[in-house]
Amino acid sequence: MANITLTSSDGVDVTVERTVADRSVLIKNMLEDLGETGESIPIPNVNEAVLKKVIEWCDHHKNDPPSAGDDDDNRRKTTDIDEWDQKFMQVDQEMLFEVILAANYLDIKALLDVGCKTVANMIKGKSPEEIRKTFNIQNDFTPEEEDQIRRENEWAEDR
Amino acid sequence: MPKRLREDSPSILPSTKRSRTVITTPVDRLSSMSNELLLHILSFLPISSLNVCQRLSRRFHALGGDSELWKRQYYSQWVRPRARRLANVRRSVLPPSKAEYSPKVSTWFDHGHLAVEGRVTNWKRQYRLRHNWASGSCRFTEVEFVEPPCPPVLVKLCSGIVFTADTAHGLRGWAAKDPTRCLCKIAFPELRRQNTRPTALSVSQLENGQEIVVGFEDGHFDRYALDVGTSQLKLLSSHLAFRDGAITAMALSSPYLLIVSQHKLLSLYNLRGRPSNSGDAQDATAPCEIASLRAENMVAPMTLSLRVSTSEIVATIVYSFFHIGCGWSLGIQEQRFAKDGRQLESRLTSTVDSQYGTRPLRTHPQSNQRLRSTSDSTSLLVPAEPSIMHQRPPTSMSYNHPYLLTSHADNTLTMYLVVSDSDRLFVRGGQRLWGHTSSVSTVLVTNRGKAVSVGSLGNEIRIWELETAVSSLNSHRPLNAENSIQVSPDNRAAKSWLDTPKSTRKELSGSELVTSKPQSLDRMYECVGFDEERVLLLGEKTVGTQLLECYDFT
Repeated sequence: MANITLTSSDGVDVTVERTVADRSVLIKNMLEDLGETGESIPIPNVNEAVLKKVIEWCDHHKNDPPSAGDDDDNRRKTTDIDEWDQKFMQVDQEMLFEVILAANYLDIKALLDVGCKTVANMIKGKSPEEIRKTFNIQNDFTPEEEDQIRRENEWAEDR
Repeated sequence: MPKRLREDSPSILPSTKRSRTVITTPVDRLSSMSNELLLHILSFLPISSLNVCQRLSRRFHALGGDSELWKRQYYSQWVRPRARRLANVRRSVLPPSKAEYSPKVSTWFDHGHLAVEGRVTNWKRQYRLRHNWASGSCRFTEVEFVEPPCPPVLVKLCSGIVFTADTAHGLRGWAAKDPTRCLCKIAFPELRRQNTRPTALSVSQLENGQEIVVGFEDGHFDRYALDVGTSQLKLLSSHLAFRDGAITAMALSSPYLLIVSQHKLLSLYNLRGRPSNSGDAQDATAPCEIASLRAENMVAPMTLSLRVSTSEIVATIVYSFFHIGCGWSLGIQEQRFAKDGRQLESRLTSTVDSQYGTRPLRTHPQSNQRLRSTSDSTSLLVPAEPSIMHQRPPTSMSYNHPYLLTSHADNTLTMYLVVSDSDRLFVRGGQRLWGHTSSVSTVLVTNRGKAVSVGSLGNEIRIWELETAVSSLNSHRPLNAENSIQVSPDNRAAKSWLDTPKSTRKELSGSELVTSKPQSLDRMYECVGFDEERVLLLGEKTVGTQLLECYDFT
């Protein structure tokens, strides 16, 4: 199978197998539309480090069966992530969010889900204060507002 | 604002300081994501975390309350499990995976009103409502009727409006949301106001309001209409149904009205029957009696039900009677009428077979025991002792096809399923429902199998989801508290909750003597209705003081 050259936003060429690149629906469609011209494909939104990270994931998952389409809700039932992916996602927050953005841009659904699940797991079971600390979220509520929202949402606390 | 920040998060002080001086540093990477991606992340969270996220910041408050997120949660929590269950029970062709958000399926799953096109549904609110019902948590309010009239008032709940009828005040409408507020009132016609009391009340939903029919002691019934826009009650017409007796029970399914007199005369009316030739508007909607018959074998308590389909009207009377073998049983008489009033069929069945624990035969649903033992090898053995036996008459009954429930003084409810199709009528299954710890005085069921039952002292209210119980009907597994939830109002102090019964018990004997109601002694709380959001009870605290108790689940 032929190799494809991708050019990252910082101008670095990265060569990948076609099957690996096909994990990205964006690239796959582009190749199908244009045909394999042998020219490199510019990926203007993703820098070299992130692109390599994404390709590492695609390479590991290149033989995955295509996702079963619309079992949207089964997919959401669990935030379990398989072991390899968990290790893969053990990166700093900057990289984690960059990977999510890249997966979104390149249209790699499974990687996007893994990224979002990782973030969801960072939120789960934490108090608002802990979450704010984790992500440096600025609290823009007045204390009164915050208190009111807390009371409104009391009903759904874990039983 | 910076001050509060420091208080909230002392440990990240350096970074917040930096963020104020060097604005370009994206410290909060999560919040810098697009709404779309944040929603995707939130979609992996359970509801408890969603609610926590709403407390993070204004942006997260908006995102965490996103209706689509909650809709998905609502579906996975409430709709899909039910869909799977129904598919199993009915062996339906509808696979659970097909339970998507289409309006058609929504209607099928009884929340079509939530999926109405063009109407924005607050799915979080809906989720919370279901959650509260499922956990029995609600807000409790009670309304005392001013100048308590005696004899007691009649109360009905329909589409968020509580209707009360009594001699002193006539017909009144109250907002169920805020039962202290009287929406509308109208006095009964002068002639009747002094002497006769209302004996039956029935309400039916119309397109632009409600139609209310009040039956009186003297055999008259009055039709009223409530215009929702103007909150005006209007007397439409007054009609004499029975010359010799009170109207004791009524079922209204506009435009059809079924009434029963104290002398067991049964009449079916079409309230918009006769387009008259005279231009008088009142005449144009004059009720037209389409059928009348005697029903001699009815014994109180009884309940009426009226089902109107496109082709026919099915009037059902459920009554109690004493059976030598298995004590108090229920008889079900079903009258089927064509739309023009022609009687198609009259059928009768009883719960006796079910109480013996046998299933009716396919070919002879009403066959006697001799036939059963000889004709069909698949029928079950008839046990010598009935499995369900009641020595006392039921304290109340509620029939909403196909569910038939009775409440009993022995702390239980009994549930039957009525099967009625074009060629037969029979009762399937019979199940005792356990859970109450005192005598059950009243029960009310919807046609979707949600039931509310009330203990005789009003201190124990249970909510039943009977749809799940149906699947175990034939397994003879006893149903218990797992199928029901006790209502526990958040704002009612536990102490007074426990104290009430004692004090009321004393008062009860007094009130019974004064009013000498025909009901059994322990019946003093009455469930007058429940809808999506609340349960209403009519209670009597002291002699003649009637209270409307509202349990609000929103």
